[in-house]
Amino acid sequence: MEQAPLLKMEKISKRFPGVQALEQVDFEIYPGEIVGLLGENGAGKSTLLKILSGVYMKDEGDIWFRGEQVDIRNPNMAQEHGIVTIYQELALIPHLSVSENIFLNREPRRLPILGLVDFRKMRRQAEAILADLGVYLPVNRLVKDLTVASQQMVEIAKAISRNTNLLLMDEPTSALSSKEVEALFMLMRRLAEKGVSVVFVSHRLEEVLRVADRMIIMRDGHRAGTLSAAEATEGKIIQLMVGREVGLFPKEEVAIGAPVLEVRDLSGENGVRNVSFTVHRGEIVGLAGLIGAGRTEVVRLICGADRRRSGVILIDGQEVKILSPADAVLHGIGWVPEDRKQHGLILNMDVKQNTTLPILSRISNRLGKVSLKNEKKITQGYVEALSIATPNLSQTVNYLSGGNQQKVVLAKWLSTKPKILIMDEPTRGIDVGAKAEFHALMSQLAGQGIGILMISSEMPEIMGMSDRVIVMCQGRITGEFKRGHLSQIEIMTSATKFLDMNAAPMPGSNVGVGPI
Amino acid sequence: MMEKIARKADGDSADNGQTGPMDTLRQTVRRAFTSPQFILLCVVIILLIIGGVINPRFLAVNNMKIVTRDIAILAIAAIGVGFPILTGGIDLSVGSIVGLGGVMVAYFMMNLGLPVWLSIILTLVLGALIGLVHGLFVTKLKMHGFLITLVTLGLARGFILVLTNAFPITGLPREFAVIGQGYVGNLIPIPLVICAVIAALSFYLLRYTYIGRQVYATGSNREAARLSGVKVDARIILCYIISVMCASTVGMIQAARLSIGHPAAGEGYELLAIAACILGGVSLMGGEGGIIGILIGAALIGTVQNEMVMLNINPYWHKIVISLVLLVAITLDYARRRRE
Repeated sequence: MEQAPLLKMEKISKRFPGVQALEQVDFEIYPGEIVGLLGENGAGKSTLLKILSGVYMKDEGDIWFRGEQVDIRNPNMAQEHGIVTIYQELALIPHLSVSENIFLNREPRRLPILGLVDFRKMRRQAEAILADLGVYLPVNRLVKDLTVASQQMVEIAKAISRNTNLLLMDEPTSALSSKEVEALFMLMRRLAEKGVSVVFVSHRLEEVLRVADRMIIMRDGHRAGTLSAAEATEGKIIQLMVGREVGLFPKEEVAIGAPVLEVRDLSGENGVRNVSFTVHRGEIVGLAGLIGAGRTEVVRLICGADRRRSGVILIDGQEVKILSPADAVLHGIGWVPEDRKQHGLILNMDVKQNTTLPILSRISNRLGKVSLKNEKKITQGYVEALSIATPNLSQTVNYLSGGNQQKVVLAKWLSTKPKILIMDEPTRGIDVGAKAEFHALMSQLAGQGIGILMISSEMPEIMGMSDRVIVMCQGRITGEFKRGHLSQIEIMTSATKFLDMNAAPMPGSNVGVGPI
Repeated sequence: MMEKIARKADGDSADNGQTGPMDTLRQTVRRAFTSPQFILLCVVIILLIIGGVINPRFLAVNNMKIVTRDIAILAIAAIGVGFPILTGGIDLSVGSIVGLGGVMVAYFMMNLGLPVWLSIILTLVLGALIGLVHGLFVTKLKMHGFLITLVTLGLARGFILVLTNAFPITGLPREFAVIGQGYVGNLIPIPLVICAVIAALSFYLLRYTYIGRQVYATGSNREAARLSGVKVDARIILCYIISVMCASTVGMIQAARLSIGHPAAGEGYELLAIAACILGGVSLMGGEGGIIGILIGAALIGTVQNEMVMLNINPYWHKIVISLVLLVAITLDYARRRRE
């Protein structure tokens, strides 16, 4: 393309505590171009989009918009340049109609003194905007009654009606069926014809290949490469996405024992379908897949947090009945959840109260009195063993750093003397040093004979820590690899193998059925 | 940014970590003296002194007997309703249950001719059952406590009216009236003794037992508590049962005090009980607050009410004054939380 870029970013850097999210990244997009932004979780895609939309401020670098240097310091400034973001969580008002949402806060007025809205004019204009995009939606319908796909269309229409030059979309297809994806792509092409530029993030490679004019691949906060539609293949993209040396992971070789956790034919309302696998004593099993592949949902079924539809769980070869998380604790399953603040910790309680939460009744006397001496002793033991950096045992966990909070969650589960530890994204959001420390702990625990099931979206972590890797996609197991036979490309291929594009998506993704 | 704050806090408290046991004691004392509850207690004492200066009869033993009895009765209801609030819920049925408790115990004794002790036990069992129903709605149907207890607020009052035809049940036996009218050693009102027992048991439950700890955990983060193996449903149900049983107890004490099961008893009492909790530092978000605070909150409201009587303030103004006291307390509390 010979014309001048619509937007150009040069040497953009962004640092978060403990992470260099972006380092010297260049980015450019031309008028009417569709750019696919690709990369693993944590590669820096979202950070880049957020800098463009004014949610984050860049630390370094320059941004040129239509040849002029600009400074995007907040979302309003981005909007002034016609840069609009469609987020994964849609920002529509569910109880207003389509037309009311499109014209929210700038409704056509009638008798301005009385502040009346000219609903007829608003409907006509909304219809015109939608027709122009080739989208046919009843403008009087309430947004809450539309499918997610249609809601997305409304959001795009809303954006376009405000003179948008550049549309940013973060995983717009993640909640759509294949038919709906087709409609979205048609809309994107139509926008491009009108001269609007589109950047979109997606994990579904074959979709990106179908619609993007150009692909920019990110890796570890760098721009790993650029591919034009003509030269791009799935293989080339994956190579660029994962082509990196696997970092140092202190995985010790541990003798693998008897099966400790066996899951057979597990299915649930939450989208998990016929999942079977085994974890042995001393083994670390990595559960890989993309976000939304149903990995956390498998864990929720095992731990009794969600209802099972079918399936049997065996611990030490014995079938067990797990109907609630309390049962799971009793049977020796510990679960370090993905979101430690929501699901792992009681933030306003202190280190010892959090540590002993699952074993309170075990350290209480017959009158129910908790033995504070015992509590202190147990907690002190784990604070030392895990080297939790806390001034004292009465420190409210809210004030600990992310890595130390995560260690408190681990201490909590270790206090139950678990046979099986499930760790969901165990090192997300904690800095690099703490990460390595945490990995060493995992290795040690496996050495003590605990069976570990680790969910991770970070390929190096999966590659570095797992004795065996199970890959999931759309609620099912799509691949299994042994240590020594691990190939990032094969794992990625299994994780993106959308066996059945027309299959019902995960219920959690909230897709309704209805006309577009 | 969160990380930064967290680290800073780490650093700050690391300095404190060096201190010895003497200093922790001093810290505890300092924390006690700067706590909102302590300030509230000072307010109560100041109010008592002002009342005494304006009207010396206010501090007389006879009036103090009345004041402490009022406070004790309110405190029992407030402690009860404090339990569901700690779980992040609420119980709006308190007032109607107070009415129901008084009428039912009178009905059992006078209309069914049951002995006093059996009537009391049956009334408590009835209360427990109502609380159980509340708890089941809140846990199994995931309904907010606000809704189901609002239904009971209306249902219980309606039931009272149907049962009594809106006529009070009078002439309750002396051995029952003692509960509300009697004194220990001619000095300490029996309701105060009952309150002390309930407060002590509740304090022990919440402060020292694993069940209490789990109640706080449930109120702070129900899902995290559940995933940690806490039987959150059982804890929530227990809290709703305690609330209704306390309110029933209040109903019986009030009936005993007047020797009447009055169908209008307890109207609007939920406002006072909940106000005492909030004044005492119980967070409506759940997971925060304690018995000491609730007692002081009840003491404040009881003192203000009695003072208004002693100062001959038109009773129509009482609700306004109490509500304003509550407004001031809530505003201060919000300001404090925001600073934190």
